[in-house]
Amino acid sequence: MDKIELKLVWLYPDILNLHGERGSVQAFQKVAENLGISLEIERIDNYTDKIDFENTDIIFCPPGELKVIPEVKKSLEIQKEELEQYIKDRKYLIAVGTTGSLLAKETIREDNTKIEGLGILDITGQERKMVLGDDLHFLIEKTKQEIIGSQIQMIDFTLHKAQPLGETIYGYGNSGAGNEGARNLNVIFTNCLGPVFVKNPWWTEAILKDAVLNKISLFSKEEYTIENKSFETTKDFIKRKPQIT
Amino acid sequence: MKLPFQIALCIGKAIAIAARIVDNNRGTNISGKIATKLCPNFINHFKKIDYNKVIMVTGTNGKSTTTNLIAHTIAKSGRKTATNGEGANMMGGVATTLIKNSSLSGKFKKEFLILEIDERSLPAIHEVLPARNLVITNLQKDQVQRNGDPDFIYRKFEKVINKEITLYINNEEPRSKALEDKAGQVVYFSVDKNENSFEKNSFYCVTLPCPKCNHKIEYDYFNLESIGNFHCSNCNHSSEEKPQVKITNIDLENNQIECGEELYPITYTTPFYIYNYAATIAVAKQMGITSEEIASGFKTFVNPGERREILTYKGKTIHYLRMKQENPETLQSAIDTVAKDKNSKAIFIGFYEVKDFLPYYSNTFYFFDCNFQDVTKTPVEKYIVFSKTVCYDTANRIIYDGADSSKIEIYDYEEDISVILKKMDELKTNNIYILTGMKPYNKIKSFLAEEATKNG
Repeated sequence: MDKIELKLVWLYPDILNLHGERGSVQAFQKVAENLGISLEIERIDNYTDKIDFENTDIIFCPPGELKVIPEVKKSLEIQKEELEQYIKDRKYLIAVGTTGSLLAKETIREDNTKIEGLGILDITGQERKMVLGDDLHFLIEKTKQEIIGSQIQMIDFTLHKAQPLGETIYGYGNSGAGNEGARNLNVIFTNCLGPVFVKNPWWTEAILKDAVLNKISLFSKEEYTIENKSFETTKDFIKRKPQIT
Repeated sequence: MKLPFQIALCIGKAIAIAARIVDNNRGTNISGKIATKLCPNFINHFKKIDYNKVIMVTGTNGKSTTTNLIAHTIAKSGRKTATNGEGANMMGGVATTLIKNSSLSGKFKKEFLILEIDERSLPAIHEVLPARNLVITNLQKDQVQRNGDPDFIYRKFEKVINKEITLYINNEEPRSKALEDKAGQVVYFSVDKNENSFEKNSFYCVTLPCPKCNHKIEYDYFNLESIGNFHCSNCNHSSEEKPQVKITNIDLENNQIECGEELYPITYTTPFYIYNYAATIAVAKQMGITSEEIASGFKTFVNPGERREILTYKGKTIHYLRMKQENPETLQSAIDTVAKDKNSKAIFIGFYEVKDFLPYYSNTFYFFDCNFQDVTKTPVEKYIVFSKTVCYDTANRIIYDGADSSKIEIYDYEEDISVILKKMDELKTNNIYILTGMKPYNKIKSFLAEEATKNG
């Protein structure tokens, strides 16, 4: 049997370069190997480089300095429609630490200036006056996995309509209120560092396995075009037919 | 309680004398700490300070050595200097230095004031002591629990630099060099490509965002982990082609460096030190110190805070390399030193939880800002990894960079260091490296001394 192939895009490794999170990319490579998945990793180094969303399964955004976020956002907006489709297709977009600001609606800096994010997650950020460094231990709600690492909190996040990624067992999480990270479909934000996917390979494994399933289901969707169309027309017929009184 | 300057100064002087009597090695900043509490803007009240001859040295790495080297070089030239000791680089330490070097009326008695300044304290100290000379050694990742990211410190520096300041900056360090536009005068110090320079081609190597435009910084080569001839991929931010002070030749055989047309003797030859020497030449020349005087200073300089130590124990040579926690550059520097030794060796690694202040935490992610491949490619008989909490993360890090896991022994305790060190006796190799912090090292040292006494 051919190896299952996935592709991970490592977004702006030099620009989003904090807290050794390149290790998480290495972790995806290592765990994929253990699972027998052939994982292609592509570095997107420059803002002018295009992302091949259609053939990508996981986009990893490491933490970066807050000042770079507007430029990163600008570059992704060039491919806004493709990004939206990518998210609808339940593919993975993962942001760690400060890069949560990229996915948020906006972040207010300490000097009250505003950084606008992509608004993919209904969360907002507020830059802290003092950095908070501590351990972080939380439970992912969806998979019931315990995750451990540390966090360097420079921004407090408030969740609006977005679902939390998990509940804190120990640590500050988004804002000290017991929730950690955020999630919308497979768009994931976590404050957890470690590198988070090195320290928690069970989570890395879960994401890779789910990305494989997602790829298979997307493939099936394409394969069953006629059946899918039949499904839609039948649904429409049911909706429109006269009711029996 | 708020007291007049004069009274606060007298109290400060009395405390300084008392501290010296109790323990000459301690209390480096206690008198200044108290005096600044008793009198607001205490430092501002000192007289006869020529701000053109006040040199502040700040930055992530190398500030203690550079301060000591500048102070020693200027003092050796016959000028009267005052300087603060290591660990006294905040407001209290600066105040203590002034207390010790002033008359009872608050007149500063020396010509030059050379101060190591903590990065976070720089704005507050500079506000009350507006030095006209500022040396920034470099600006790198460090102490994330305090600083978050390098931009946090960059913004602190930005607040301080003005057109009255002469800025001495590393020509090959992109972050601090970006502060150049704000200063009145800039003196660039530089080290040319040399036999220790290297390139990084690994897929997982990362650089940094340009401090001016946030695009990618590219390096032509590296002299240190994130220091080397650079240019931005987008704007014109880059190393100067003709920096005023450039070390063009490093003669390791004869322990000397060449700068301009002069040769200077050096005692310490690691790449970090060469930058410290370059910074010192830059400052000293600006202060009117001659090349001969600088050379004389370099010749007699001994660094009190040297990070390397060599011990012998039962015929084994033990190289101790001190590292600062949460500081990838110093860790990388230690790793590079080990990697240069191509002989068979054993490596003891004791990285610890971070316990600088509450909350203590188990940060290990900075290991992944460093590269261990060059070490794991050399012949290593055994890796002995110890510490209560983070030993497994440490072991995992070196496995990620190619270490053979069958050669790794992990000890998840630290109380009884003797069990770990007895491992030394079992090793075939006589070549031992220890990478850990000062506290565990002192424990190791005491144990080895006790063992040596027991064994006659």
